[in-house]
Amino acid sequence: MLEAADFQHAFGAMLASPHRSNDPAMRRALAVHRNTASKAARDALFANYPVTVALVGEDAFTACATSYVEIAPPREPRLCLYGDRFSPFIDAWSPFLEAPYLGAIAALERLVTEALFAADHPPLDAAALARGIDPEVALRWHPATRVAQARMPAASVWRAHQPDAGPDAFEAILWNPEIALVTRAGDAVEVHVIDVPTRAFLAGRTLAEAAANAASEGGDVASIFALLLSVGAFAEEIPRGE
Amino acid sequence: MIMTAGLGFKLEHLDEALTARNPGLWFEVHAENYMVDGGPRLRALLALAERFAISLHGVGLSLASVEPPAGDHLRRLRTLADLVGPAAISDHLAWQKWEGGHHADFLPFPRTRQALDITADNVARVQDALGRSILVENPSLYVDLPGHDLDEASFLAELAARTGCGLLVDVNNIFVSAANLRFSAEARIDAIPASIIGEVHLAGHRPDPDPESGLLIDSHDAPVSDPVWLLYQRLINRVGPRPTLIERDDDIPPFQELMLERDRAHRLLEQRMSIDA
Repeated sequence: MLEAADFQHAFGAMLASPHRSNDPAMRRALAVHRNTASKAARDALFANYPVTVALVGEDAFTACATSYVEIAPPREPRLCLYGDRFSPFIDAWSPFLEAPYLGAIAALERLVTEALFAADHPPLDAAALARGIDPEVALRWHPATRVAQARMPAASVWRAHQPDAGPDAFEAILWNPEIALVTRAGDAVEVHVIDVPTRAFLAGRTLAEAAANAASEGGDVASIFALLLSVGAFAEEIPRGE
Repeated sequence: MIMTAGLGFKLEHLDEALTARNPGLWFEVHAENYMVDGGPRLRALLALAERFAISLHGVGLSLASVEPPAGDHLRRLRTLADLVGPAAISDHLAWQKWEGGHHADFLPFPRTRQALDITADNVARVQDALGRSILVENPSLYVDLPGHDLDEASFLAELAARTGCGLLVDVNNIFVSAANLRFSAEARIDAIPASIIGEVHLAGHRPDPDPESGLLIDSHDAPVSDPVWLLYQRLINRVGPRPTLIERDDDIPPFQELMLERDRAHRLLEQRMSIDA
C-alpha cells in the first residue's frame, strides 16, 4: 500500500510534469486538475489587474497570466490576494516590451488590491483636526494608504479607465513621471496624483516633521494637509482603553 | 426561518440580493474571498448576513493533506466566522498543498485507512479551532485511483462518526464522478447515510473541451442539468429536505436567472416538506 505522503508527493510531481505518467487516464485527469487550478489563478489575475487587461486585451493578458501562473503559482488559498509579483513579471514579459509602461500600471493595480482589502479604520478628518492634533504625536497612515513613484503617468492612466472618467481623460494625459497616492476613505479605492511636497509631507513621522518636509520642498503645508485629510490618507488615533 | 434553497453569492448581485424576500433564501460564499483584513467586500458580506443565513464554504483547508491545516488560515477562518455567525462552515474531501504551494483545485487520493486517520485528524483540528462542527463535501473525481480501502460513502460516514462532522453532498460532483469513473450515480446517492447530510450542492458541468478526454468537468459555469435534478429529487425523496445551494462560479447570469434555478430547488424542498407534514 502506498503511504499517503508518498502518494501526494508522487501526484504533485506528476501535476508539475504530466509526462511522467504512462497511464493515459491519469494524464487526462492531471490535465483537468492543472487546467482548473491554472484557470482559477488566472481568473484572480484578471480580477486584480483590470486596467492592465484593458490596455493589452484579453488574449495577450491570458498568455502572460498563464505563464505567470506556471512560474509563480499561488502559495495560499486566498486567490483574491494572488499576484503580488505580477508587475515585475510584466516588465520582463517580452511580448510587452513595446509597452514599457505596463509594469508601472500593474504595480499600481497591486497597491489598489492591497488597499481594497486593508483593515478598516476611521480616517483622520477635519473634525479631528478641529479638536486639535499634537504636532509631535505620530502621524499614522490609514491601513489602506499606499504611495508609488512611477516613471510613467500610471495614476492618470488608471483614473482614465475608471467608470466615472470623462471620454477625453486618456487623451489629456501628459506622458510624464507621476507620484500616485492610493487611499480608501469610504468603500471605494481612490488613486490620486500628488506632487513632490505632498509626498514629502506623507513621509513625516509627526505632523511637525511632515510640515517641515513639505515646506522644504516648497509646498503649501496647509493646503497639502487639507488635501490629505480630505482623501482619508491618515488614520485617526484611537485612544487606548480608559 | 428554515433554510430551503440558497444561492452562491456574487458581489455584483449585492443590491438585488439584499432586497430579495424569497422565503427560505440563504447565501453561500467562498470563505477565502472574505478572509481579509477589511474593506468594502467584507462589509457587503456582513450586510448580507444581517438579512440572511450565510454558509462559509472553504476551498482551502486541504482536509486530506498529509500536512495539517495552516494555523494562520484557521485563525482567519475563525475570525471571519465570528464576524458572520454562519449557519454552516464547509470544505472538501481533497488535498491541495504541495511543496509550499496551493493547488487551486481538489486533488484525489486513495481512500485508505491511513488517509482516513489523517483526514479525521485534520477535521478535528479545524473543528477545535472553530469551536464547532463542519460539513465535508464529496469532490469531483477524474481518475479511478488504485488502492482504496473504503468507498467514498463509507469513508465519509466513518469520518463523520469519528469527528462529528456532517456531509455536504454535491449531487453534481457525484454525477460527474460517476460518468468519469463509470459507476452508478444512483447507487452512490443511495449509499449516503441520511442522518449526517447537512447540506446539498447543485451545479452545472461541461464535457472536457479536449474531445479526446471524454471526461465531464465540474465547471460551475452552466445551469444544473436535468439528470442532476433527477438525482437530487431521488436524494431528498429518501433523506428529506436539506438546505440546498445553487452554485455558479463562472459565466454568471443575471441574479433573477439564478433565482429561477434556486426557486426550482425551493419548490422541490417545499413539496418534500409537505410529505413529512
